[in-house]
Amino acid sequence: MKNPIPLSLFLTVLVAAPLAQAHHSFASEFDLNKKVKVTGVVTKLEWQNPHIWYYVDVKNEDGSMTNWAFSGSSPIQLMRRGIHKDVLAPGTIITVEGYQAKDGSHNGGGSKVTFQDGRSVFTTVADDPNEKK
Amino acid sequence: MQRPAIFISASFALLGCLAAQTASKSPQTPAGIPRTADGKPNFTGIYEWPKSTGDQCECSATIFDAKSIGALKPGGEPFFEKPTGDPRHDEPRDFCMPAGFPSGMLAAYAIQIFQSKNYFVLIHEFQRMSRVVPLDGRKHRNELEPSFYGDPIGHWEGDTLVIETTNFKRWSLDDHFYNNPNESRMHSDALRTIEHIRWKDAKTLSYLLTIDDPKIFSAPWSQEFTIKARPDWEPTGLMEYECQENNRCPGGHCQGK
Repeated sequence: MKNPIPLSLFLTVLVAAPLAQAHHSFASEFDLNKKVKVTGVVTKLEWQNPHIWYYVDVKNEDGSMTNWAFSGSSPIQLMRRGIHKDVLAPGTIITVEGYQAKDGSHNGGGSKVTFQDGRSVFTTVADDPNEKK
Repeated sequence: MQRPAIFISASFALLGCLAAQTASKSPQTPAGIPRTADGKPNFTGIYEWPKSTGDQCECSATIFDAKSIGALKPGGEPFFEKPTGDPRHDEPRDFCMPAGFPSGMLAAYAIQIFQSKNYFVLIHEFQRMSRVVPLDGRKHRNELEPSFYGDPIGHWEGDTLVIETTNFKRWSLDDHFYNNPNESRMHSDALRTIEHIRWKDAKTLSYLLTIDDPKIFSAPWSQEFTIKARPDWEPTGLMEYECQENNRCPGGHCQGK
């Protein structure tokens, strides 16, 4: 398997997910009362500063398709945590848990990404949660 | 009448002894730290950002612990500032404006330090913040306009590097507003910061940051952070952070597509 996700990252799922991100204020953009959890296919990945954005085609109940855009951390912070762009390659089926934009659009702050095999990573910023006091 | 005189004499002697002890109580330098050719502690290397053990926001930067922050000066400039709804005011970094010092120093990114006899250079991965600190005894450049990162000069006190920075713009002190979107913590244009950097142990720096802001606080106050050396990050080195590359928050409204 190419670039497998390290077990240590999988284990961080057991720790509370941090909510906020660098650069822009999470609370000002995304509604903490509007949790979203969608499953779909990654259609595009922008692995760029200051934040990654990844786009997911999600099939609605009526059969129509919605393309969600999720913002994550900076590539630097993710890479220092061992998360590389391969994990969000277009075509990958993922479940994203996050928070919807305040304006109700299909933009969101993507917090946790779960893959089909059950492994998960956080795409938001985190100090190493295990080091948090 | 003799007893009070003896007591006073003894008290002065005790105070003198305590003062002498305090004066000589410079931090012990751990054995085996790296040193430059001229014998100064060598901080050249890659590090994590300053971390504290106090109350922190769930965000991407260290913030000052509430218990460390000094008393507000009665009638002073406001320390807390409410959001106005204008993103240019509420989060200027949405427009790729600089974090400034000390806020940017506390961002959760790598730091690389280069050191010579006459300069201490610190490059922070976040916003590629660079601080060039002269160590050659020069004075502050008071003719300059106030800036986001101020004007630093440094000197050695034993094995401790001391950096004094002045001439700041009024700007956000730290990322407190990520934790509490209802208020920012500001510093004034009278801010003077003093950093004391020394090796705490062979793998960790002590980073004592003093905030002297007489327009806001009654007295200077300090907080000690630790900075962990990360020689394992040397092969990768610093990575690029170019805020304008794909900033999808122009106008302060973040939107994909």
